[in-house]
Amino acid sequence: MRERITFIQKLGDSLEPSALKVTGSGISGPEVRAVREDRLTLALDELPTELHTLLKGVHELHIRWVSPIAFETVSPLLARLPPGLHLFYTPGRTSDTTTSDNLCPALVKTFGNIACLTPAESFTALQNDRFSHSTTFQYFQPLESLSHFFSYAKGQLCPASDSSCATRLDSLTQASSLDVSYDTISHTLKITALWPYQRQAIQATARSQIRTEVGVLSSEIPPSIEPHELGISGLLTVLGQDSKPSATMFTFPSRHRDAQSGFSTKFLEPTGLHPTLQIQLDSNRPPSDDSYCSAHAYFTLPRGVFADKYQLADDLFLASKNLTALRYISQPVDLEAPEYVMKQWGSAVLLELSPPPSSEKAQPWTAEIPLHLRYLSPAQGGYANIEVPYPAVFWACAAEEGTLFPNNPFERVNLGYDGLFGPRTVFWHVDPHPQQQQQQQQQQEQKGSVVRATNTIRVPVLDLDKAQWVNVVTAITVLLGFGWVAWKLFSVYSRSGHQRVVSSEPNKDKKWQ
Amino acid sequence: MANPTQISPSSMRTATTSAGKRKKRVSFAPSPEVTTALSMSSFFARPLPLYLSAALLRMVFLLYGLWQDANSPLKYTDIDYLVFTDAARFVAQGESPYARETYRYTPVLAWLLLPTTWDASVWFSSGKVLFAAADLVAGWLIERVLVSGDGGQGTPMEVATARKYACIWLLNPMVATISTRGSSEGLLGVLVMALLSAVLARRVALAGLLLGFGVHFKIYPFIYAPAIVWWMDRERIGSPASRDKLGVSGPETLFGRIVGFVTPARVQLAAISLATFLGLNAAMFMLYDSPFLQHTFLHHITRIDHRHNFSPYNTQLYLASAFPDLSAVRIESVAFLPQLALSCLLIPLVLGKKDLPTAMLAQTFTFVTFNKVCTSQYFLWYMVLLPLYLPQSSFIKNKALGISALALWVASQGMWLQQGYELEFLGKSTFLPGLWIASLAFFLVNCWVLGIIISDVS
Repeated sequence: MRERITFIQKLGDSLEPSALKVTGSGISGPEVRAVREDRLTLALDELPTELHTLLKGVHELHIRWVSPIAFETVSPLLARLPPGLHLFYTPGRTSDTTTSDNLCPALVKTFGNIACLTPAESFTALQNDRFSHSTTFQYFQPLESLSHFFSYAKGQLCPASDSSCATRLDSLTQASSLDVSYDTISHTLKITALWPYQRQAIQATARSQIRTEVGVLSSEIPPSIEPHELGISGLLTVLGQDSKPSATMFTFPSRHRDAQSGFSTKFLEPTGLHPTLQIQLDSNRPPSDDSYCSAHAYFTLPRGVFADKYQLADDLFLASKNLTALRYISQPVDLEAPEYVMKQWGSAVLLELSPPPSSEKAQPWTAEIPLHLRYLSPAQGGYANIEVPYPAVFWACAAEEGTLFPNNPFERVNLGYDGLFGPRTVFWHVDPHPQQQQQQQQQQEQKGSVVRATNTIRVPVLDLDKAQWVNVVTAITVLLGFGWVAWKLFSVYSRSGHQRVVSSEPNKDKKWQ
Repeated sequence: MANPTQISPSSMRTATTSAGKRKKRVSFAPSPEVTTALSMSSFFARPLPLYLSAALLRMVFLLYGLWQDANSPLKYTDIDYLVFTDAARFVAQGESPYARETYRYTPVLAWLLLPTTWDASVWFSSGKVLFAAADLVAGWLIERVLVSGDGGQGTPMEVATARKYACIWLLNPMVATISTRGSSEGLLGVLVMALLSAVLARRVALAGLLLGFGVHFKIYPFIYAPAIVWWMDRERIGSPASRDKLGVSGPETLFGRIVGFVTPARVQLAAISLATFLGLNAAMFMLYDSPFLQHTFLHHITRIDHRHNFSPYNTQLYLASAFPDLSAVRIESVAFLPQLALSCLLIPLVLGKKDLPTAMLAQTFTFVTFNKVCTSQYFLWYMVLLPLYLPQSSFIKNKALGISALALWVASQGMWLQQGYELEFLGKSTFLPGLWIASLAFFLVNCWVLGIIISDVS
């Protein structure tokens, strides 16, 4: 078991080694503005039996949760995902399906209210032949918090003797994202938590039997850096081993970079049953002048809302919305079924956006995504809400021929969209900057002063308060209509029977020939 | 998803303004009306002007549609047409038409549209040309049936008058719009008219083929089978000898009646139509396996039609589909009872022998009105039969009645469309009571109209 704790500051914010106080029991330092990332790496046999058994049948499993509350992060921890719970899964190569059968119940047990029945019913398949480095299955659902996971973990993972374990788990409730990753190649389980860019004290405690390494780092641009590289410098300390931090500086090629612009999204009013999501981007200038770049938006749409791939096939229509093409949509997407009969999680959509031609000065622009609502279950009051997570918006640029992206210390792969691009693609992330909306302001009063990276649609549904007469009155009306028509038929019959009334004029009936 | 808001009920307006026979009577009087009457009758005197106008109308719509498709993000072409042509493309590549999601039709339709996959882009519209041509043929068949005077109680009609009534279909902008947008309902129109005229011409084998094919194509024409069989009695079809033997002096026992009912013509129709239907299905099943069965037939049984439409059952079905355990009776399985009792049993029995075309109109009208799903495309199913009934209808004889029926039909539909618009585009929860009341009102108006149609048969 080992742990890595990293504080990353922005370019130019560095810390003198003397500011850090290293003791036998830990490290402490001043308050800095930084992102904090904790990564715990566990060997398979260090896990509780239940989890151990489950993971044995897994080839690859990545569970990633992103908070619906908007947060800021810094380079190189930029690989954004839409807020919610993402799951990427490749079953083991055996014919034993126990793991797949147990996966959904295990998720429900661990994360609480997860609408997953079996991988076959609820997951969508990623085409493995085309995207060789993606997992086989994908699952997503919006999830407000990991509170259920934390109480589960306290019971399962923390030994009763170790109170620091529970304290650490409590601090995780403030994290903005959490990744749990396992693959058979490394045979290790990695748990990575990220706290957003904010003022926080540098503080870490050494724990027995765990090697804990603490880095206090910041972005750096050394003179020798290549255009496709990022630089990092700072101080590294192994707790309980080093008596003082040692300085470090390194450069590495990074797949995920900062486009240094922002975007926000909103639904155009009125939303109706065919809402249009508008993406407002700050800049139409590609982040890199040297390579070919195209703007993309990657959505994970909950099952209540979907995009119609047939509608998104017409060039003229796409152009009118500032879209270039629908690059990917998970299959199948039932275009008719109501939400309440769906078993599949929803759909993943990758759209290429079409920015107006870029000029000297960066200009704001918008793209519009036409979506469709499913019928939702009837509810009291006649309306139900659907919360649609923000997409991940990025410029995908082709890296120079020959560039390789070996795993860097902050690499994050299997994000859903990375597998849809070639291996030499660099993702320049546009930062989500949600605007406060009216609906959000109302929610804010309940949830405190936060801005959510989601959009809420109010969906009209059948109002249960008014539904008590529907069955009776419909039945009476149909019987009334039926009775009226039957009565008319009876009148005709009683007047002239069912035979043809032969016309009184002779020789008109030419049938007798 | 069918969009019931796309079609205006303009055809009914056309129906009441084309004042058939009255114009003829004034043709001797020298008045200002004469010129219009003369030019009107000269328009209908020869076939060319009418059919040329009908073709021109469709051509203009088709070209306009091409222009709109090329220049506006809002498309003229119906989404269904994209479904058909996608399916045809799959077929052209040697795949199954059911590879296209929401393709719920017989493979024959995709085969018919194979030319739309040919290289040059002009071929893409060939399916619309086919549907438009089907409209014209249906119109011509309407004219023929009216002229023969065979079906209804009426005497044979003069050709010019028949054309006036046929123009209710031929020059109907709603019909022309639907076919040039690429909806296949026009093919149904020609199939049903061909079936009717084959029956009236006593071409039993042809009628059997058309009936079997029609049911394979769109299921609902099966409702015509009982009316046609009932109509085909020995008095109408059968050798004079057998008529004398059984029809005149046979004992009125139950057995005698049953034997009397089973005529060679009826047996021939049943055998040929059943063989056609089953043969086509077997062939399609062999070619495309269970997706064919699933999408062409089973889908219509299992589908949950929650999306709002004109059907009186719609709100109830939405409720029931969301809470399947709560309802004591399964509406889906009870709803077809009044529908089929009227359209397949009572109407054929009472009206079939008296006036086959009007019986078929009443059957179709009932089927659509009482259906669990009802969109405006379905109105086309009965509209093709309307010109055969209107000449002797109370709606033409009694202008006030005709206008109020039309006004009520339009008003209740308009009320529904307004509520539907608020739901679909403004996001207002109008399911209850607005949409529900409107669909019930529209249903009752339809039933009232249906009652008048039935009473007109004597």
